Amino acid sequence: MSIPLGGIGVLVALWLFAGAAPANAQAGDATAGKAVYERKCLECHGEKGDGKGPAAELLAPQPRDFTAGLYKIRTTANKVPTDQDLFRIITDGMPGTSMPSWAVLPERDRWNLVAYIKSFAADKFKEAPKKVELPKEVASSAESIKRGKEMFEAIECHKCHGTEGRADGPSRSELKDEWGHPIPPANLTKRWTFRGGAGRTDIATRLANGVLGTPMPAFLDSVEKPEDIWHLTNFILSLGPESPHYATLISVTATTDAIPDDPNADLWKKLTPSNVPLMGQVIIDPRNFNPAIDMVAVRAMYNDKEIAFHLTWDDPTQSSADAAKKLAADGIALQFPPQITAGPERPYFLMGDGSDAVYLLRWENNKGVMEATANGPTKIAPIQGGEATAKVVFANGQYRLVIKRPLVSKDASRPTFTPAVFMPVAFQAWDGGAGEGGTKMSLTSWYYLRLEEPQSTRRFVIPPVVAILTLAVMLLVVRVANRRA
Amino acid sequence: MRKIIGAFLAIALVAGVAVVAHGPGPAGAQGGGTIEASVTYAGAPVVEKLKVNKDTEKCGTEAVVEKVVVGGNKGLANAVVSVPGAKGGAAKAVKGTVDQHGCKFVPHVTAMTPGELDLKNSDDILHNIHTYSTANPSINKAQPKFKKVMTEKFEKPEMIKLTCDVHSWMLGWVAVLPNQFFGVTDANGVTKIDNVPPGKYTVEVWHETLGKQTKDVEVKAGQAAKVAFEMKK
Repeated sequence: MSIPLGGIGVLVALWLFAGAAPANAQAGDATAGKAVYERKCLECHGEKGDGKGPAAELLAPQPRDFTAGLYKIRTTANKVPTDQDLFRIITDGMPGTSMPSWAVLPERDRWNLVAYIKSFAADKFKEAPKKVELPKEVASSAESIKRGKEMFEAIECHKCHGTEGRADGPSRSELKDEWGHPIPPANLTKRWTFRGGAGRTDIATRLANGVLGTPMPAFLDSVEKPEDIWHLTNFILSLGPESPHYATLISVTATTDAIPDDPNADLWKKLTPSNVPLMGQVIIDPRNFNPAIDMVAVRAMYNDKEIAFHLTWDDPTQSSADAAKKLAADGIALQFPPQITAGPERPYFLMGDGSDAVYLLRWENNKGVMEATANGPTKIAPIQGGEATAKVVFANGQYRLVIKRPLVSKDASRPTFTPAVFMPVAFQAWDGGAGEGGTKMSLTSWYYLRLEEPQSTRRFVIPPVVAILTLAVMLLVVRVANRRA
Repeated sequence: MRKIIGAFLAIALVAGVAVVAHGPGPAGAQGGGTIEASVTYAGAPVVEKLKVNKDTEKCGTEAVVEKVVVGGNKGLANAVVSVPGAKGGAAKAVKGTVDQHGCKFVPHVTAMTPGELDLKNSDDILHNIHTYSTANPSINKAQPKFKKVMTEKFEKPEMIKLTCDVHSWMLGWVAVLPNQFFGVTDANGVTKIDNVPPGKYTVEVWHETLGKQTKDVEVKAGQAAKVAFEMKK
C-alpha cells in the first residue's frame, strides 16, 4: 500500500500546522471553546459559568464563578488576568483544590476555553491587563531568609498563616471569600498545595498583588522596601520542603537505647520521617469529601522490649470532644491486621469488616491512646488490658505524638512485631475542629511497615579478620617468591 | 521617593483646586441657602458584639459593630444626606480621611467627592483595606503597622464598603458623592449642608442597612430649608 501524494501533502500540511502553533498562541475561538466546556467543565462550573454545576456542593473551595470575572491567580496589577494566566490554570490545575490539570486537552482546546470563559464576564475583560512589575529578584541566602522572617513578623503574616506558617493564625476562623464562604489561609509549610504554584516567581507574585476574591491582600506597596517581597519569598520557601516525597514503605529503626516518650526528644529528630498522604473517606455515609488532614509524617523505633510510633500532622486547632457543639475530638489511629499471616490476604482497609477484624492503636485528644479491635468504622471495641501509652505535644498548628506498645503480644487480638517481616499498616485521622469524627475522617489504604534487622556487631570483627588474613597470604606469597629467586 | 513627590504633588494639586474653587466661593455662598436635614428611625438599634481573640491591647476584648445607631429623639446616626442634582456654585473637592483606630473605622461613614481618600492606621498593628465596590476598582491592600497612611483613589460616585479581613468585625463605609453638597448625620440624626445654590432639588438619604429615601426641597438664598426623613426597615 502506498500513500497517495495528495495524502502526503495533507500530512505535511498538518504537521506544519501543528508545528507552527506556538506555545503562546492567544486568540481562542469561544464557540469551539463552548463545546469543550460543556464536555469537561460544566459539571463543576455550571452551564452558565456561575460555579453552580451539579458537583459544586461537594467541593471546597467552590468552583470559580466565571460570571464575576474575578480570578485568584493572576500576574497583573489590576483585576484583569492575562489570557496566559487563565491558560496556565487550565493547563496546570490548582493544587489543593478539585481543579485538575487539563494538559491532556489539545492546546488549541485550552485556548478556546480561555476565550469562552472570558465571554461569561465580557465587560470585565474590556480593561487591558496590566502586568505587575516585581522588584529585582533577590537570590536566597541566610541573610535574605533572616530579613524575610523579620518582614514576616513586621507585616504580621502570622495573623492568618500562623507563627510557623501552618495556617493556624488567630484570624483563621474569620476568613471569608468574596462570596461569603469560609476560606482557610495557605499552609506555608506545604508549598505543593499553593493554588498558584510553588515557584519563586509564583510566590512573589501572590505576595505582590494578593489573591483576588480572598482575604489575601496585596503587599507590593506595603513592605518596607520593594525587595522585601523577595526576602519574604525566600523565607516562605525555607518553611517547608519542595515536595512531600511520599513514602512507600515505613521503616522501623532498631535501637539498643531506651526510646524517648517525649515527641520533641533529639533521638526522634534524627530519624527521617516517612510522609504518608491521607484521603477523605468517601465509601460510607457520612462521607468526607474535603478532608482536613492530608498528610501524616511517621517515624518509628523499636528495641528488645517495645515499639514506638512518632506521628506528626498539621491541625490548626487543638480540639477536644464537645457534646454541646457536636464536635468530636482530634484523633489519629494506626491500623494493623490482628495477626501476621503469610500471603497477600489482608482485612478490609476501612477498619475491617464482619469477618476480618483489624487491630487499632487509636489516640484521641484529652483521652489518650487505646488498643482496640474494629469490625468496621462503627464497630470499635477496646481491648481489655491495653498496654499502649502515648505522649502528645501540640504547638503552632501541629501535633507530635509518640505511641508505645510492647513488641510482643499477650493474646491473639493484637499482633506481635517481628523484625524483617513486611507488616501491613494503615492510618486514619480526624480533625475535630473541622467537624470530623466517626466515618468523617481521612485515611490511607494499606501500606507496609518493616522492622529493620538489628545490625550485629559482627561487621566490626569480620572485615579486620579478612584484611589480616589477606595480608598474611600476600606476605607468604612474597616470601615464597623471594626464596625461589 | 518618586511616590512621595507624587503624593505631595497630588496633595498640592488638590489643595490648589480647593483654593481656586474657594476663590469665587464666598460670592456663591452669599447667594446660597442651607439644608437642615434630620433623619429618624423608630426601630431598635442594631449593635452586634463579638469576643475578640487577638490584638486585645489595641482592639479591646469586645468588638462592637454598630450597624444601626439610634440617638436622642430617634435620631439616626451615620446616614448620608446628599443633593446629587445640585448645580451651580463653585465645585469643591472634599478629600476623605478614615482612620483605623481601636480596630474600628473612624468615622464609621466617610463622605467625599471623587478623588483621594487617606487611610490612616493609628493602631500599630496590621490591618488590610478590603473594599467592596463595582463602579470603582475594589482593592485589598495590606497596611502593616509601619504604613501609617495610604492614599487610594475613588473616581466614581458610589457607596463603598470597607472591611478588614484580619479583624472581621471591622466595618466602614465611604460615600463617594458627585458634589460637595452632602452631610453625614451625627448622633442625634442631624446634619447641615451649607452654601447650596438656590433651586429645587431632590435630597437623598442613604443608610447602610436601611437603604435610600428621597425628598424634594426648595433651597432659597440665605434661608434654611428643613427636610425630615423617617427611615423604615
